[in-house]
Amino acid sequence: MIEAQGLTKRYGEKVAVDGISFTVQPGKVTGFLGPNGAGKSTTMRMIMGLDRPTKGTVTVNGAAYASFRSPLTEVGALLEAKAVHTGRSARNHLRALAATHGIPNKRVDEVIEMTGLTAVAKRRVGGFSLGMGQRLGIASALLGDPRTLILDEPVNGLDPEGVLWVRNLVKFLASEGRTIFLSSHLMTEMALTADHLIVIGRGHIIADGPVDQIIAQGTKATVRVRSPHADQLAAALVGPDVVVTTKEPGLLEVFGSTAEQIGDAAAAARLTLHELTPLSGSLEEAYMSLTADEVEYRSDSPVPGSEPAPGLTEEVAR
Amino acid sequence: MSTVTAPAPTQAKPVAKAHLSFPHLLRSEWIKFWTVRSTAWSLSIFFVVTVALIVLISLALKNAGVGDGPPGPVEDRVLGPYTVAAQLGQIALVVLAALAITGEYSTGMIRSSLTAAPRRTPVIWAKFLVLGGVFFVVALAANLLGAVLQQAFFSDDLKLDLGDPQIQRALFGTVLYTTTIALLSFALGALVRHSAAAIAIVLGALLVLPLLFQIPWKPLQEIQPFLPGVAGSNITQTDAQVEAGWDSFPPGVAHLTAWEGYAVLLAYLAVVLVGALVRIKKSDA
Repeated sequence: MIEAQGLTKRYGEKVAVDGISFTVQPGKVTGFLGPNGAGKSTTMRMIMGLDRPTKGTVTVNGAAYASFRSPLTEVGALLEAKAVHTGRSARNHLRALAATHGIPNKRVDEVIEMTGLTAVAKRRVGGFSLGMGQRLGIASALLGDPRTLILDEPVNGLDPEGVLWVRNLVKFLASEGRTIFLSSHLMTEMALTADHLIVIGRGHIIADGPVDQIIAQGTKATVRVRSPHADQLAAALVGPDVVVTTKEPGLLEVFGSTAEQIGDAAAAARLTLHELTPLSGSLEEAYMSLTADEVEYRSDSPVPGSEPAPGLTEEVAR
Repeated sequence: MSTVTAPAPTQAKPVAKAHLSFPHLLRSEWIKFWTVRSTAWSLSIFFVVTVALIVLISLALKNAGVGDGPPGPVEDRVLGPYTVAAQLGQIALVVLAALAITGEYSTGMIRSSLTAAPRRTPVIWAKFLVLGGVFFVVALAANLLGAVLQQAFFSDDLKLDLGDPQIQRALFGTVLYTTTIALLSFALGALVRHSAAAIAIVLGALLVLPLLFQIPWKPLQEIQPFLPGVAGSNITQTDAQVEAGWDSFPPGVAHLTAWEGYAVLLAYLAVVLVGALVRIKKSDA
């Protein structure tokens, strides 16, 4: 379990993380989602005691990371790929880390095999590809067989096979009751991997809840309605928060109203319905709408149509 | 690379007893030290340069006539080659010592190190002890081999009286001086976190500053005996040599004995090391 309380990090004038509080529960995969520069890495570095919080506290299993007698068996972390001396071989890097805790070389060889580095373990890390560097970082994190795993963008640079492997690995480890905290800016990856999501933007938490709930929250409810009385129905539904569009005669798309409300309204007006279908949005869309105001680095000239157009909702459903 | 291996169910929990401790950190730093190429290269260069210079300068002294050397008793001039060899050989150790810590900053390795040992300062201490131990042993071996060769070839002109406590102290002092200078470089590397800067500062203080302080200007002359290299190298000479050196000083300039000089060098080391420890403890990694 990871608990953050009013966690703040300021670099000079710039506030990277602004008083965030959250809890990461054991037994499930918690995703930490946000655009670049949102404060994900800074938060993770503060958990690991690498950056000192300007204000607030963060604990792992009730204690500050630095206070553990055996830090590597409590928390394993992949913070940046290649936090590794480029002149050392992968195996020697892991041996040196393992030695700090008296972890035997047997475990070193075990994590090398587990992460698929056997063939390159004796090669110097300087020549590693991004993907191999990531695997080595994950191997380092697993070294102490830790109860809590913190992975910053673990699938960056991995091939599809590697992505699948990471996904299965974290799900398996969570099923063993471990705490898994995983950051990414890839929404689709999160939708597939995480059970719970914490969304961060510009140093603020903008959403925290189960993945399904976040998607529901962030997506404007869209309902497809087919009716022979489409025009009358549209007139009955339109309101300050409700937008109705027509794609073809007799077919409506209603935003901002639930299927129940539409059904009730139709019944009240004694109008026949032929179809009433709630359309679920994608995490992608939820994410865009959640972070729309929180993106740190925005391109100056938005591509026309880059706004999450309502019409896109339809078949992007997860 | 082919692995979609289901994560192996962790067998006999090999990490069950694992815990962080200082002896474990020493072991880790020992592994780190020997698993980068610069270590073998730098130690070899130091060893070869030291032994070769002791032999070659002994040869030069023999040919030039021992009596023409620096101040001090003629019988002590047998030590000259060791002092000169130490001054040059130490450059290899200065570079190696600085890289041992600045290399961790330039590659990002330091974040792995501090994740494993989040209290931080023990990492510096463990490195300090490993480096100090290895440097002492290697410097001792190089100077002893140099002495064996010197006595094998030149004992007629340059007799090294190993029974003389002054000679013993000066030889031991040479090893101690070399080790301490290298550790000063390590501490500076830990403080400034930049290879080139750390090496430049140490070599500047050792090789360039003494030249600058040759300028006959009183304030400079008064500081000169306290320069790290000048003060520290007193320990590489016999008391008679140190005292003879004082005669060349302008009046009113402090006279440091061998051990006083070494204490000054240790004080530099202590100040820089404390600075490095405070910095690693306080700042973000």
